[in-house]
Amino acid sequence: MPPEFSVRSDSVDVDQIMTQIRARIREKRGVDYTEEELQQLANVKLEKFLDPTRVRSDLIQHYRRLQEPGGASGAVPPPENYAFDDHLVYGSARGVSGRLITNIRKLLNPLLKLFFNPNPIIQVLNRQSAINEYARDQFDRTSALSYEVMHNLVLELTRLSIEVKNLKMRVESVSGRLDFSDRRARALESVVQYRPGAGPAAEPAATASPSPAPGIGQAVRRDVEAAGGGAPVKGEAQRARRRRRRRGRSAAAGQPAAGGAAAEDPGEAGGPAGDGADTPDERGRDGGDGLPFDGRDPGPAAAPPRGQSEPTDQ
Amino acid sequence: MKLAVVVQRYGLDINGGAELHARYVAEQLARRADVDVLTTCARDYITWRNELPAGESDVNGVRVRRFPVRRERNPERFGRRSHHVFGSAHSVADELAWLDSEGPASAALIDGIRRNEASYDFFLFFSFRYYHAYHGIRAAASRSLLVPTAERDGAVGLSIFGPVFRGVRALMYNSFEERAMIQAVSGNDAVPHVVVGVGSEVPARTNPERFRQKYGITSPFVVYVGRIDENKGCKELFSHFEGYTRALRGDLSLVLMGTSILPIPDNPRIRHLGFVPDADKFDGIAAAEALIMPSYFESLSMVALEAWALGRPVLANGRCDVLQGQCLRSNGGLFYESYGEFLETLALIQSNRRLASAMGQNGREYFQRHYTWPVIVRKYMDMLDRLRAEDQGGAARPPIEPLPGWFARRRPACRAGDDVVRGLPEGPARPAGRRR
Repeated sequence: MPPEFSVRSDSVDVDQIMTQIRARIREKRGVDYTEEELQQLANVKLEKFLDPTRVRSDLIQHYRRLQEPGGASGAVPPPENYAFDDHLVYGSARGVSGRLITNIRKLLNPLLKLFFNPNPIIQVLNRQSAINEYARDQFDRTSALSYEVMHNLVLELTRLSIEVKNLKMRVESVSGRLDFSDRRARALESVVQYRPGAGPAAEPAATASPSPAPGIGQAVRRDVEAAGGGAPVKGEAQRARRRRRRRGRSAAAGQPAAGGAAAEDPGEAGGPAGDGADTPDERGRDGGDGLPFDGRDPGPAAAPPRGQSEPTDQ
Repeated sequence: MKLAVVVQRYGLDINGGAELHARYVAEQLARRADVDVLTTCARDYITWRNELPAGESDVNGVRVRRFPVRRERNPERFGRRSHHVFGSAHSVADELAWLDSEGPASAALIDGIRRNEASYDFFLFFSFRYYHAYHGIRAAASRSLLVPTAERDGAVGLSIFGPVFRGVRALMYNSFEERAMIQAVSGNDAVPHVVVGVGSEVPARTNPERFRQKYGITSPFVVYVGRIDENKGCKELFSHFEGYTRALRGDLSLVLMGTSILPIPDNPRIRHLGFVPDADKFDGIAAAEALIMPSYFESLSMVALEAWALGRPVLANGRCDVLQGQCLRSNGGLFYESYGEFLETLALIQSNRRLASAMGQNGREYFQRHYTWPVIVRKYMDMLDRLRAEDQGGAARPPIEPLPGWFARRRPACRAGDDVVRGLPEGPARPAGRRR
């Protein structure tokens, strides 16, 4: 959001506000180019922004040189147009004698017309001269237009190149910030401790739910598992607990452990509250990461049949 | 005092900027002097076709004398000549031919001015760039005042207008920027002048709630009033506003009032109301957060003055020197020259109510100080009285500079109009002691 300017109704200074706004924009954008600077960049330093293999860095100068009469690049200036009229064919450039010659030629003109008629030739040459003039005028106009278009194109290319460069810098900056935030979030999540003080009352409720809503603990657990350290530790811990449970049951019933079937005894569903392996402290130690296990992923050695669950794993 | 207001078109249904300006001034001055309006029979400024009857009529209590236009404008020829005189070196004869093709070519109007010159104390010509002003001023220069309504375009740079700017008795400018431009191009600093502008009939009370109910607008909005045209900067406005809606959350919408000759973007936050009655226009401006004025070329924005009169801030296009200058002098609005500035300034106006309110208050004071009708009329009357006193004092005045001779008129010695304008000083006229 823009800053709150301190406002007194009698002392608003639009000039100052605009200065502040422009300063803010410059600060955000990093660098700001004026139109004059853009023109200069377009004319002089194109190679810094444009692909030199595609656009000539001295394009404008090159084109401008072409515009100049007899400019560089070896262009020969066009010949002067020949102004042709009906008197020209009889004319002479020899002063007084030339005028005499001209008059004689005119006198003899009827005689000449006995052999061929020069008038169509005169008319055609006259028209050709006009066409040449017109074509040169058109060429000049088109050339000026092309120059303008080219100039604008290069200017826009420069502007866009600068914008792309700025946007790339911003993307990099935002990407860096995102990475930092991500790492920070992970670091914060990793210090979240499982709090057994949530109490035994919470555990049966969680047990009853086959698919608990993912909370922060689960999210963190998934992160830890994804990091590659969670699954083996969990599997070993489960196996250790099961071994302890079996030993406990065997000792209590005077029977040897009977594999998975004993563990599936419905009588165990409520679980003895005094089962040492299920104390939170121990579970924390077993887990190794201080996090509760996920009932949906009990590990390969302890997968219960569908519809049954191991309360101790919750 | 008997005055003639000379303008290219005139009528209640003619809403062009200069024509409306002329009508307002004529009606106001008619309370203090005997005013006739001399104009053409044209209604359409593209063709200048004779649509209204020639002769005398009465418009809002002002006597109007209409003269027929000799021929309609040929747009193709006018375009070709405009391209020539604005874009390349040319002769005075080319400029006169351009003026003739621009029109409204009413020789009868010029004859009328010449014949009746002695009947009027002064002629007030509006819009320097048209046929009636150029030839009319040449016919009665010693009694002519000019309201140039000049914009920063190639016409100002044509050489035929220099003698006109220097040859009139006085100039009534619309803004300081217009004065600076014309003085730079013609060197007419010595000609009496005043920056006066035009007033507006703003209602004493408005009802923003009625406007909101009538058009079903519940969210905050900014408003644009005028022809919706690319030349008025509307295309850029749409682009900027759509960018704004994407960049910033909120419910601010853009309400457009006026006839559109540009496709309106299909955006739920842009509402086009079409042409609305004056009451709705004023209520709408009063209900808005701000008025947006995106035009690049304005000699004086009447709608911006109306917004200020109603105590609303203005967000203007800073590339128009006049609008930027008005915002700076009034402290009544912000301006933008790029999308980034548009985003920041609009967000600031929307989010900082105290600032918006303070700018609106400043705008209102600026309007009351400079643009209420008593102030405007007093400036006109002071100037007319001053000129009449000079006449009575018998001060000698040189005649208007004559046209060059036949050969000189055909020599291509005039620079392209656009080139001349590019060389003129730019930027807003700032309050004294301020630097950018």
